[in-house]
Amino acid sequence: MRDITIGQYYPARSIVHRADPRFKLVILLLYLITVFFCSSFFSFGFMTFFVLITVFLSRVPFLKVLKGLKMIIVILIITSLLTMVFYTDADATPLGEWWIFKIYLSGIYASIKLGWRLLLLVLMPTVLTLTSTPTELCDGLESLLSPLKKIKIPVHELALIMSIALRLIPTLIEETDKIMNAQKARGAAFESRNPFKKIKAMLPVLVPLFVSAFRRADDLADAMDSRCYRGAKGRTRMKVMKFHAGDVFALLFWCLITVCILFLNYNWLGWYFITVLGL
Amino acid sequence: MIDVRKLSFVYSPKTPFTTQALFDIDLKIETGDFFGIIGSTGAGKSTLVSHFNALTRIQKNSGTILIDDIDLSAKKLDLKKLRAKVGMVFQYPEHQLFDDTVEKDVMFGPKNLGLSVDEQRERAKQAIGLVGLNYNDMAERSPFELSGGQKRRVAIAGVLAMRPEILVLDEPTAGLDPIGKREIMELILNAKNMCPTVVMISHNMDEIAAYCNKIAVLGNGRITGVFEPKELFGSEALLARCGVELPLVTELAVKLSRAGLDIDRSILDEDELVRAILDLRSENNA
Ligand SMILES: Nc1ncnc2c1ncn2[C@@H]1O[C@H](COP(=O)(O)OP(=O)(O)OP(=O)(O)O)[C@@H](O)[C@H]1O
Ligand SMILES: [Mg+2]
Repeated sequence: MRDITIGQYYPARSIVHRADPRFKLVILLLYLITVFFCSSFFSFGFMTFFVLITVFLSRVPFLKVLKGLKMIIVILIITSLLTMVFYTDADATPLGEWWIFKIYLSGIYASIKLGWRLLLLVLMPTVLTLTSTPTELCDGLESLLSPLKKIKIPVHELALIMSIALRLIPTLIEETDKIMNAQKARGAAFESRNPFKKIKAMLPVLVPLFVSAFRRADDLADAMDSRCYRGAKGRTRMKVMKFHAGDVFALLFWCLITVCILFLNYNWLGWYFITVLGL
Repeated sequence: MIDVRKLSFVYSPKTPFTTQALFDIDLKIETGDFFGIIGSTGAGKSTLVSHFNALTRIQKNSGTILIDDIDLSAKKLDLKKLRAKVGMVFQYPEHQLFDDTVEKDVMFGPKNLGLSVDEQRERAKQAIGLVGLNYNDMAERSPFELSGGQKRRVAIAGVLAMRPEILVLDEPTAGLDPIGKREIMELILNAKNMCPTVVMISHNMDEIAAYCNKIAVLGNGRITGVFEPKELFGSEALLARCGVELPLVTELAVKLSRAGLDIDRSILDEDELVRAILDLRSENNA
């Protein structure tokens, strides 16, 4: 049960861990947009290079990052394969033919690019969740969205709800663990294959779990009341988020990468651009 | 009999959060013991006892536990049989109540053992009586409308209804008032007639001193020692070494004897102390 912790934070001391979560979020957004502009193999390689550098700087073992991709690897392979077999190119002659499928060289290229793009799209968010705690991300998001308060969107309250939810998930998992153990000790079997039986077997866990969740919610509300919590108005932070020169530098650097990709993509200066880069 | 041999346990192995909770534990609990386990917070007491009915499985090459003739490190275990044999009452057991009547909740264990409905009801009736509740009053009430102490009794009844041979209790009196604590302890003593071996974790030295016949002290995942109550609470050096405090009764006895009264310093039981004081008074009056 314990393995499904939300957020897969990997504690380490690195500049990526220390970076301001707001900047990390903005960079992630910029990065995701940029990935959609990549079109040539060169630009994919270019992006991948910088992603790998980020992983290296974060000091998270590379295997750990790959583990985060476990979930999507199947989707990735299937979509790539489908793209490859169903790709049609009227101008080209197929490399091979089998039943209704025709394989084109451009189809192979397209499928590789699609897979690569998906991989890039998932890699960076994985790095983000590995290097920042859910709370940090929540605070960062609240701070970034705070201009929306002007149009009466309760950003603070939403962020609070989110951070309470995130905070309680591990607690509830622990609670589930405990209750399951208690019922197992009374001989309950949760291993049945029949889904109806399974749901019925879960009842002795779900009821106490809900009871305890409500009890916790009540306690929390009381605790907040007794500390005079009144919402966002006039509230200051204990941990004030501060950004450093490094954060700004990283953001500028990623802007530069975006610009490079745009140049590569739209070929604004012709292929001279590559020679400008010195490649 | 529970025989723990060289048991080690690691939480979340091979992750950055890994903690070793137990180191090479050797422990023998005989049939008929009222066995106390004490130690500071995080010493590994709960982790140790959760092995006893295989809720925590023994990790590879981390020792073994024998319960009578059942080897808990074996791959294939008859969990049903084991869990009927070893009843486990967790900390705050009232949090595990779920059914809409007390009787049905207590019947949950026997039902899982595959007994007939009549047998289930019979056992529930007996268990509810055993924990000092009135069956006729309680059977049809919802467990959620009971008081904290009553809920705890119902939860304990739910375990006793499985008629275990070994009863393991993790801080059974935590969070109760003094009278509630005493009532729970009396109930456990009562249950011991039926279920000969009792293992109890507690932070309350008075309970441990008054009820247990053997005490294991755990510290940082290791056994500091196994003692008889008189031996442990009678020796200041031992108490200091194990980081254990005196029971309040004994502390009082020690203070009285320091004040010049003729009272045994190793008294472990309230009644005993009261008797000693009364004796002293009648001697003086005589
Ligand atoms: N589910 C878990 N995951 C990781 N570590 C755990 C887990 N449960 C306990 N631990 C760790 O194992 C050690 C022993 O914990 P345990 O609960 O057995 O202590 P305890 O002696 O029962 O303490 P207490 O008196 O507070 O109940 C502690 O250091 C604790 O942090
Ligand atoms: Mg414990």
